[in-house]
Amino acid sequence: MDTGTTTTKPKRVLCIEDELFISELYTRALTKAGYQVDVQLDGQKGMAAAQTDAYDIILLDLMIPSITGIEVLRTLRDPAKTPKMHAKIIVTTNLEQRKDIRADIEQQADGYLVKAEITPRELVEFLNKLDV
Amino acid sequence: MDFLGKLRQQVKLYLFWVLLLENALLIGAWWAVHVYHQELSPLETLIGMSILGLFGTLLVSETAEKRVTQPIITLWQAIQHIAPQGGEERAPDLNQKQLGRELVANLANHVYQLASTVQAVEKTNSKAAQNLHANFVASSLPLPLLVLDKDETIVYANEATSKYLGKPADDLAGQNVYTALDMSFKSDDTLSTWLKNSASKTATASHKWEHVRIGLPGQGDSLLFDLAGYYNKDNSLGYETLLILFDHTEVYSQDDQAMSFVAISVHELRTPLTLLRGYIEVFDEELGPTLTPELKEFMVKMDAAAQQLAAFVDNILNVAKIEDNQLTLQLHEENWQNVIETVVNDLNLRAGVRGITIKTDIAPDLPSVGVDRYSIYEVLANLLDNAIKYSKGTNEIYLTATLNKEGLVETSVKDFGLGIDASILPHIFDKFYRNHRNRAQIGGTGLGLYLSRAIVDAHGGEITVNSKVNEGSTFTFTVLPFSQVQEAGKSLGNPSLTRSAHGWIKNHSLYRD
Repeated sequence: MDTGTTTTKPKRVLCIEDELFISELYTRALTKAGYQVDVQLDGQKGMAAAQTDAYDIILLDLMIPSITGIEVLRTLRDPAKTPKMHAKIIVTTNLEQRKDIRADIEQQADGYLVKAEITPRELVEFLNKLDV
Repeated sequence: MDFLGKLRQQVKLYLFWVLLLENALLIGAWWAVHVYHQELSPLETLIGMSILGLFGTLLVSETAEKRVTQPIITLWQAIQHIAPQGGEERAPDLNQKQLGRELVANLANHVYQLASTVQAVEKTNSKAAQNLHANFVASSLPLPLLVLDKDETIVYANEATSKYLGKPADDLAGQNVYTALDMSFKSDDTLSTWLKNSASKTATASHKWEHVRIGLPGQGDSLLFDLAGYYNKDNSLGYETLLILFDHTEVYSQDDQAMSFVAISVHELRTPLTLLRGYIEVFDEELGPTLTPELKEFMVKMDAAAQQLAAFVDNILNVAKIEDNQLTLQLHEENWQNVIETVVNDLNLRAGVRGITIKTDIAPDLPSVGVDRYSIYEVLANLLDNAIKYSKGTNEIYLTATLNKEGLVETSVKDFGLGIDASILPHIFDKFYRNHRNRAQIGGTGLGLYLSRAIVDAHGGEITVNSKVNEGSTFTFTVLPFSQVQEAGKSLGNPSLTRSAHGWIKNHSLYRD
């Protein structure tokens, strides 16, 4: 009978990222920090995985195969297409965006990070601060 | 006066006297023979008289010819004188004594006048021909061509111009060129400064500008082109300045699209950078405790180098845009306190790592400001980052924001660190300028302040620095209250408040001066 301690379930992270090495880098750091990480290298598959609502945080790369990250973002934020998804979406990218496009992205996502600007440790700290 | 009548009288008179004289001589000769030479028979007398008569008539016709034809000769000479193929080069003396002098002079003058008129007509015809020729060239030229007068008013704009700007040529003619074309240039070398200089210094001048931008009304879209100008002072037709536009909008605007070469390069550079920085951090974590101080120092250097590269890559695109006059800002109303707090929050991490606190002092009722949030964030981040980098040994940075006496929102970032040598201070906002003394220890790209100044300038503000070696530096910049920005935008017909890195998209000469 376990009445006292409540074990906090590890937060589940979906990393939609096509650069294998970067996904490994993030997986390592996040796993060490106590997150449970799944990686999807393909955009369509990643979107489908996100729509299962099995994740608390989604790290969404913008430059991915088979569908653009922006498309994925729009679909996940469209209540008609994604009726139920509680996860926070953090856009990660190494692309330099036009300001109006970036503003549009930031409005739909819960965070916007430039990968080259952020070390794994800083990423972990950023996610820790998210309210999930 | 009837010069013709006079001539006929004179000729009649002349002939009368000449013939009378000859007759008189013949009669006299006959009388002499009759009185003193009676031995001669009538036949001999007749023959003698005939011979005398013949000689006399020959003499008369010789001398008379000249006098009678002189008027015509003179006239002929006058005509030859002005004939286009040349002939007599010198004009005849119209005052010489001759039969019908006045008539000849009169006719000669008529001829001269006629000739002068003909020349004038020819000239006019050839001018018209030139105009016709020019019109053919100008109207067929597939490049926009404009001609301005000395007041910089458009005198002529060809077909291509009206197509290019989407305005009928009639609308353009008569307009001031700066009103018709809201041009913005890459630098202070603008069309109006060039025309001013040329007008005061030279008789003719030509100049080229690259990456000139014209804002199109409404959409915030713009055209990008190269401009060539030719100036000639006091042109007799009033054609003082000739302008030709070479459109490059497609080529130059490629950087606006995410898939341009520079944009892709940025992405390609960042991907390995992400890995480098990431695994350097991993090594630092895993091996840190086991490394000798020397090796640890090497790790620090690797990390600094990777960060430096990342910072440079961040700036590439912006600097490229400034160079190509493509950096555009959208000014919106923002709460300045809000903006500052965001930046300070983000940079507190970096500051904290070095044991530095950022202390803010923001005046309570600052007016809302007109800024492009992303760009002005970069300015604040750059100044704070510099302050952190150069704060060796100290642990405080002050950030203050007040309303200055000119009514502008003035923000200062003050550090108490290394300071900047007075000899370097004037160059500190130059592109790639680095303080060489500190280059080894302090990372940086030499672009941060260059970009910051470009952005502050584009906002209509000013950035300045005060510094003393080993005492620290204070960087101060101003931004305009939103009300001012809005007013300026309205008066320049730019309600969407779009600005390029070198000023309002509309390069209105009134505003500039």
